[in-house]
Amino acid sequence: MNQFIQMFKPKTKTQTTTLFAWALIAPAALCMFLVVLWPLYETFRLSFTNSNLGTLMEGADFVGWENYEKVIGGRKFPAIVTRTFYWMFLSVGLKVILGLIGATLLASNIRARGIFRALIMPPWIVPIAIGCFGWLWLYNGHFGLLSSFAEMVGITNGPFSFLAYKQSAFYSAVVTDVWIGTPMVSLFFLAAIQGVPKDLYEAAYVDGASRWYRFRRITMPQIMPTVISMALLSAIWTFNSFEIIWILTEGGPRGATTTLIIDTFKTAIFSYKFGAGATRAVLVCLLLGIFSLIYLTVLGWLGKKYGYAGVQK
Amino acid sequence: MATVKLENIYKSFGETEVLFDINLDINDKEFVVFVGPSGCGKTTLLRIISGLEEVTSGKVIIDDQDVSNAPPVERGISMVFQSYALYPHLSVFENIAFPLRVAKVNEKELEERVFKAADILQLNDRLDFKPGQLSGGQRQRVAIGRSIVRNPKVFLFDEPLSNLDAALRGDMRVELAKLHQNLQTTMIYVTHDQIEAMTMADKIVVLRDGVIEQVGSPMELYHHPKTKFVAGFIGHPKMNFLKASNILVKGAQLTANITDSNSVNLSVEVANTKTGDKIEVGIRPEDVELTSDNKGLPMNIEVVEHIGATVILYGSVEGNSDFCAVLPSDTNVNPGDTVHLALDPSKCHAFNIQGQALYRQVD
Repeated sequence: MNQFIQMFKPKTKTQTTTLFAWALIAPAALCMFLVVLWPLYETFRLSFTNSNLGTLMEGADFVGWENYEKVIGGRKFPAIVTRTFYWMFLSVGLKVILGLIGATLLASNIRARGIFRALIMPPWIVPIAIGCFGWLWLYNGHFGLLSSFAEMVGITNGPFSFLAYKQSAFYSAVVTDVWIGTPMVSLFFLAAIQGVPKDLYEAAYVDGASRWYRFRRITMPQIMPTVISMALLSAIWTFNSFEIIWILTEGGPRGATTTLIIDTFKTAIFSYKFGAGATRAVLVCLLLGIFSLIYLTVLGWLGKKYGYAGVQK
Repeated sequence: MATVKLENIYKSFGETEVLFDINLDINDKEFVVFVGPSGCGKTTLLRIISGLEEVTSGKVIIDDQDVSNAPPVERGISMVFQSYALYPHLSVFENIAFPLRVAKVNEKELEERVFKAADILQLNDRLDFKPGQLSGGQRQRVAIGRSIVRNPKVFLFDEPLSNLDAALRGDMRVELAKLHQNLQTTMIYVTHDQIEAMTMADKIVVLRDGVIEQVGSPMELYHHPKTKFVAGFIGHPKMNFLKASNILVKGAQLTANITDSNSVNLSVEVANTKTGDKIEVGIRPEDVELTSDNKGLPMNIEVVEHIGATVILYGSVEGNSDFCAVLPSDTNVNPGDTVHLALDPSKCHAFNIQGQALYRQVD
């Protein structure tokens, strides 16, 4: 027995430290394993089974690539993927552009700018569901503010339900997503802008550079690292943005707002096809991974070539 | 060809007034140094000349043109910042070329001018580097390069050497002086370091609490400070001030008793001074000598600094607190000793109770 204990006793100081370090991270590591790694593995495993409501009792069968063949070969799949990326690019693009404009305005030296800075927060602070319900009312054809306003100024000649038509529903969802997503992007950009040393602007001003020139040649390059990482994060969040679309349209009308994540939810939860749903989830992971890789590679290359990564070697 | 004239300049930030009635003439090709302790307004004055700050009232006139309300680029100035303000994302070449790109100078001329500036500042082999890869001295030179490439009429320097270590600062001082000789342009330089002012300036402007205390050449300020403040600010170590217990004015002669047995006869302007007035006698540490006999001003030594060429003694004299003396390096003294010092009357200064100097009748 004594010998057994001896075996586990740390021999050196480094060993003691290492053991202690492991002991400290063990609870967190265990938690991560339970809520991240294991579900990830389970999803991956499920995606190769025919698991559904009917197989819950007797257990699902391993079906190999069948799910993947069905999804990728599916009639709607290319349209859904295209729509998802279009949704992502459009929404992230708008968030970044509006975020930049907002951050620049908020960084300017105006009276009571603290109030303006606080005023852009609500879309982000209000719970998404509540914000979305607000937009539901705005988009409503009979009682909605937008519809009656459009009618009042003569754009439409009757009630218009924004969420009832394929195109308008899609762009309405984009608008709401941008409305919710822009404040945080703005605040990150604002923080980055405030981190740019003031004397760089003064030096450029002394040399006669206009506001736009200073923005283009000082602000943008200086905040580029933030823009790049923020745009990527925003892209991932937008790609996987679920609740906004779900509350507004549930993916409709006729699938016009069904992105990959909505499709996954519909398959797995609404149709109880757990296996097929898991397959879609794995594909989401895969597509985002590929996208991030390409994105970072291209921007890294651009940064090296044009040097606006701002990071010094 | 550029003269700078400041007329009745006042500046306040909200309630805080920082400059009062500044009047100054700066001649063409002159190297002018604004010097003073922190918070005296020297940087604000420079920023007013540059156009980065607006005057509250008064005029900035460059080359006979009132530019008080003109943006910096129309004033024909360029500025070197204390922090260098180099663009970290741009190469040295692009940093230097920045003002030319703003001015949309064509590529060929731009390259020529950047290479010429790089040549003057020995930055030829650093043009592709980023500022982060350069040493402090090189960054400083890039900042100067960016300002000379525009061929400005007036150069403005805002404490450009304060971020460099002592040795490099000495080198850069020499380089800046050379640059001034080469470029033959008006330069205005702000510093809190009186050594930089003394070594580089044609004309020193001493500022204190937003007011010009004195304007003059370095040697003028050294030999004829108008006030006690200037006397104490210019020269290192600082001038010693001794309270005279009693003074006697007789004709053009002023005799000041420093201790019971020590007095000096000063040849100063005595028109406004009479027997019995309180004055302070100023003597620079380097202007005292040891006496061989035990007469002279007794000084108790507390600290002895051997700096090679000289020995600096810190201590006190009777009736006055601090006193400093600079003596030849072979002087053999130790902390705790008492030495006797001779004050050369021709090198003494005198200040009245308002801190105004009594003009010395010496060269």
